[in-house]
Amino acid sequence: MTTDLLATSADTWRDHGDEPPAIPPALEPPVDATWRERWHALWQRHDLRRVRAEENYTASRSAARGWPVAGNRAVLAFFRELLLTRRGRFAALVVLNALAAGAALVVPRLLGDLVNRTVDAKGGVPDGVGTVALLVVGVVCAHSLLTFLAQRTSTLFGQDLLASAREHIVRTILALPLGRVESASTGDLVTRVTRDVGTMSRSVQYGLPMAIISLLTVVLSILAMLLNSVVLALPALATFATALWAVRGYLRRAPKGYINEGATYSRINTTLTETVEGARTSESLRLSDRRVAAGSDDIAVSAQAERYGMTLRNLLFVVLNFAFQSPRVITLLVGAYAYTQGWVNLGQITTAVLYVEALGDPLDRLIGEVDRLQVGAASTARLLGIAEVPPDREPGDTRPDGVELVGRDLRFAYRADHDVLHGVDLHLEVGERLAIVGPSGSGKSTLGRLLSGINRPRTGSASVGGVELVDLPLEVLRTEVALVTQEHHLFIGTIRDNIVLAREDSDDAAVRAALRAVGSLGWVERLPDGLDTMIGSGQQSLTPAQAQQIALARLIVADPHTLVLDEATSLIDPRTARTLEGSMNALLDGRTVVAIAHRLHTAHDADRIAVVIDGRIVELGSHHELVERDGEYAALWRAWTS
Amino acid sequence: MQDFPPRVRTFVSGDGSPAEADPDTRSPGAFLRWMLARQWKVIACSTLSSLLWFLPMTLGPWIFGKAVDQGILGGSEPALWAWAGLMMAVVAVGGVFGVVFHTFVVRTWLIALYGTTEMVTRKIAQMGHVLPRRSPTGEVLSVASSDADEFGAMTEIVARCLAQLVSYLTVAAIVLSISPLLGVVVLVAAPVLVGAALPLLRPLHRRQQVERSRNSDLTSMAADIVAGLRILRGIGGERTFGRNYARQSQLAREAGTSSGIWQAAVEAVGVLFSGVFLVSLLWLGSQQVTAGELTVGQLVSFLGYGLFMVGPIRSFFELAQKTTRALVSARRAISIFEQQPPWRERAAALSLDGTSELVDDVSGFVARPGLLTVVVSAVPEQSAALADRLGRYLATDTDPVAADDEEHAKGRAARRARAERARRRALIAAQDEELAGRDWGVRLGGVDLADARLDDVRRTILVSDTGSQLFAGTLQQAIDPHGRLTREQAERALRVANAEDVYDALPEGWQGELEERGRGLSGGQRQRVVLARALAAEAPVLVLVEPTSAVDAHTEARIAERVSELRHGRTTVVTTVSPLWLHHADHVVLLHDGTVVAEGAHADLLHDNPDYRHLVARGLDEVTVEEAGR
Repeated sequence: MTTDLLATSADTWRDHGDEPPAIPPALEPPVDATWRERWHALWQRHDLRRVRAEENYTASRSAARGWPVAGNRAVLAFFRELLLTRRGRFAALVVLNALAAGAALVVPRLLGDLVNRTVDAKGGVPDGVGTVALLVVGVVCAHSLLTFLAQRTSTLFGQDLLASAREHIVRTILALPLGRVESASTGDLVTRVTRDVGTMSRSVQYGLPMAIISLLTVVLSILAMLLNSVVLALPALATFATALWAVRGYLRRAPKGYINEGATYSRINTTLTETVEGARTSESLRLSDRRVAAGSDDIAVSAQAERYGMTLRNLLFVVLNFAFQSPRVITLLVGAYAYTQGWVNLGQITTAVLYVEALGDPLDRLIGEVDRLQVGAASTARLLGIAEVPPDREPGDTRPDGVELVGRDLRFAYRADHDVLHGVDLHLEVGERLAIVGPSGSGKSTLGRLLSGINRPRTGSASVGGVELVDLPLEVLRTEVALVTQEHHLFIGTIRDNIVLAREDSDDAAVRAALRAVGSLGWVERLPDGLDTMIGSGQQSLTPAQAQQIALARLIVADPHTLVLDEATSLIDPRTARTLEGSMNALLDGRTVVAIAHRLHTAHDADRIAVVIDGRIVELGSHHELVERDGEYAALWRAWTS
Repeated sequence: MQDFPPRVRTFVSGDGSPAEADPDTRSPGAFLRWMLARQWKVIACSTLSSLLWFLPMTLGPWIFGKAVDQGILGGSEPALWAWAGLMMAVVAVGGVFGVVFHTFVVRTWLIALYGTTEMVTRKIAQMGHVLPRRSPTGEVLSVASSDADEFGAMTEIVARCLAQLVSYLTVAAIVLSISPLLGVVVLVAAPVLVGAALPLLRPLHRRQQVERSRNSDLTSMAADIVAGLRILRGIGGERTFGRNYARQSQLAREAGTSSGIWQAAVEAVGVLFSGVFLVSLLWLGSQQVTAGELTVGQLVSFLGYGLFMVGPIRSFFELAQKTTRALVSARRAISIFEQQPPWRERAAALSLDGTSELVDDVSGFVARPGLLTVVVSAVPEQSAALADRLGRYLATDTDPVAADDEEHAKGRAARRARAERARRRALIAAQDEELAGRDWGVRLGGVDLADARLDDVRRTILVSDTGSQLFAGTLQQAIDPHGRLTREQAERALRVANAEDVYDALPEGWQGELEERGRGLSGGQRQRVVLARALAAEAPVLVLVEPTSAVDAHTEARIAERVSELRHGRTTVVTTVSPLWLHHADHVVLLHDGTVVAEGAHADLLHDNPDYRHLVARGLDEVTVEEAGR
């Protein structure tokens, strides 16, 4: 080894006991303090929690980690588009909900009317009480029916919107650039399609319709109040308005708090998943107590996020309680004065008080829903961000003439100025087996990726039949050269779905032929549903060997003339490898093969061997030639065979 | 009084002190009661503050009625101001206790939620590798997340309903004192209305269950697409799986719509019932005003109470709904919490000596003290099974049983299926008990592992299997999870496992963060970090199962050499067929069908045993061109 990779070890090692606690001590309430100090400390903690929440929120929005995040404008445009295509249903939603809210507002009006009649009767039999009662029954029935219709429309609308939104997201994911998919971690993407889609769902499914309904109710209630009596309505409405500044402040802070809360819960979940799946590892290394402590730490962090949200809500509630409850008293006093002046009657006062009481609820809900919508919008921004990954290739029109794969002067860097390949030239003979060996980090996998058209070389060219690999449309590229990695993921779907990948129009005959070629037709046909058997996680389980055969059958269907195999069987046990020998032969037969080899017998059997060290091909030739040359390869070979 | 996060010490305390008593898992109902009883003080406070929030509100209509009768109709200004002042005071009290109630609700909810999550973690810690034999991972996780949340919701609704019940009775008392007839109507109508709506909830519940299960399938499909995205973009299949997702998305939409429409019906019925209730009050009330038994102000109060009673009625509704859901969750929670570790400590535990001979009776395998023994087998599962036995692990040969399969569970068929699953789980547990109870058949220095304490076994014999997992955290924590190593020791472990490149790739070095399960590292890097961690544990007896299967030959050669140097003088067992390891073995054992058929030095076996030669040097004497593909 030329340089010591651990050179900085002394600087980064942390002595025991130096680990920062999960929660900074400033967030623990003080002990033995006066009330004043406690009160002061409470607000300091609240401020500190806000800083933490905002930091985490910013981190979740930054594109530096993983995939980009879209701006607010993109989110608005996305939902505007979805709403515009559902104009009719949206109109029905608004009208029906307005009618339902209206019906609800008629009841207090009628009750006020009843009071007036009773007062007017002055102890005698009031006129038309029966009529009013019947009217209320009618209105109640209408309200009930309208509630049903309005909610039904909201459900249909919300579910439809949601289905379109999530299908759009998955379509976007399925169109992500190949180079990016191969290099980036999928962890963030998994979070997005699970947690963020969940958050978006809740806000689209319930949040959006509920916000609209609450808004309608609020607007109509205010209208009804004004219609009932302007004198009684204005003081009450003015008091309601005093809550505005508190609501604005809350709505500005709360979403960040809730997004942070959500993140702490997914952290709890991640740690717990690790603990379940690593139960044996923890037991064998006696780490169980550490896992318990890790879980408790996550919960402690989450509790801080919850406390922040709780305090924000409490602060809001204090204001809302005053602003929404005191109008009752104000209405009573104003009403009494206006009554003596003869401006209003008793029925109007009754109605006004009932309205004031009824308005608090939809206002509360409106604030809650706007909150939820903001959280949903943040998730949607993360989802739409996926679409902002720039495409990594512009397919040209030229098609390869011939099947010769040539790499010339290949250089490539993952980080600027850190080339991992330093001008590699490689000309593949049609039909040959080329093994690439070399220590980890030597650049052999990168070479494989350039030769299979996944990344564009920084300089030089990787071409097939005279055309740059990265200038081919993916559908064409896949039938020219395929990169086979150690992943043999089985998708949730039928066996047929799992095999036709590269040529999705393949008929059953082609699928059967591929299965026969890899020796799987027998067991597949013995399955109860044959090709239609559902496989993948949670479905019919297959042995590792069967899964590998399915992965090979995919490549038979793809039928590329060149295969790049990266550690293809390294994670499979030798027994499986042996039973797969026939399947493998069927796949490799008649194709050019580049094998990035871990096992030396792979290299031994190849037509040519390329030894890659530090980004250069240092030796190239057949096994015998290299052994005779007595270089790197020969030394390794001796170690293997001695 | 408890606060959140709660201090939980159930199953294992986590610090060596004795654990708390186990939860009551006799029935779902008993479990919920246990859950509520555990924080009864907080729930009582929550109820009390809820009451102080509600009760002032119940006084509202009454005060308003008085204000109307005396202040407005009676024309007395002092009375008006007095009643208005009282009302303001009532509003203030309600406002203060509204905030207090909210604080307590958050507290009870989170105590239940966090407490359940803690208990799940502790159950896993207590059961170790035995738990995955019995329960599927998904179920364990769902207890800690969605079921825990149901328990939180339960604490809230219980407190709220208790308070609502009191206000309901208070209102009834006020109304009874004003007018016995109307009082009876208020008292009786509410429970009747709740009861009448119950039949509607069952179909709704069923539809919600279908919706949940389809949504979770949909989420799995999306996660599945992302997990296999490299294949989908590399080989193809975007159209097929995009279409499959869209189809499932539409199924989820249908289920969501269907349950949403039922929900709409339930809401509509709620509106209808409360409306009818109001109308009856109104009609009866005006009759009484006419008859002179009621003043106008009292009628106004009655109408206020009519509207007010809608709240408690809805809450009781909700209680019924949430109790049903919490019972389902409790059933799932019980299926995890009721499990007990199969290990029984023997009366006189013997201590183990890590520097003595390790013998397995079943296979005839012997690991000589202080030597590097390599186990070679044509079937890797058999060497892995041997490693499991050497470390006293139960084999992973069971099919874990879930407590519930959400879909289509109803009526007697569901109960039968549940009983059947419970029986199957009990069967696995009985099998575990039996295996763990008898002599293990592996002896270290003549002591059967069953005669030693399990903790002593784990301390003395470390088995690093192929399923060994990395945990999220810094690289330093990954290598030194117990925080006991010196920097030099950690560096040495990293060098021996040839994992310096992992250090180099992290700009923060030792403090660089590894993602969960080591995601973000290549298979080979992960394997080398796992190896470094196992080496750093400095176990007296170390068993490594296929430690370098994902590592290239260059690196493997280096690792084999350095490990044999590092472990010199301590008992080490490695299962592999790679000549690069065998080259450094002090002793080689060949397994066939799980028993030792040959042993000796690598060179001798290579020379004398054709089976061994075939296995180890495969590709050397039978050159097949096709193998180039490997």
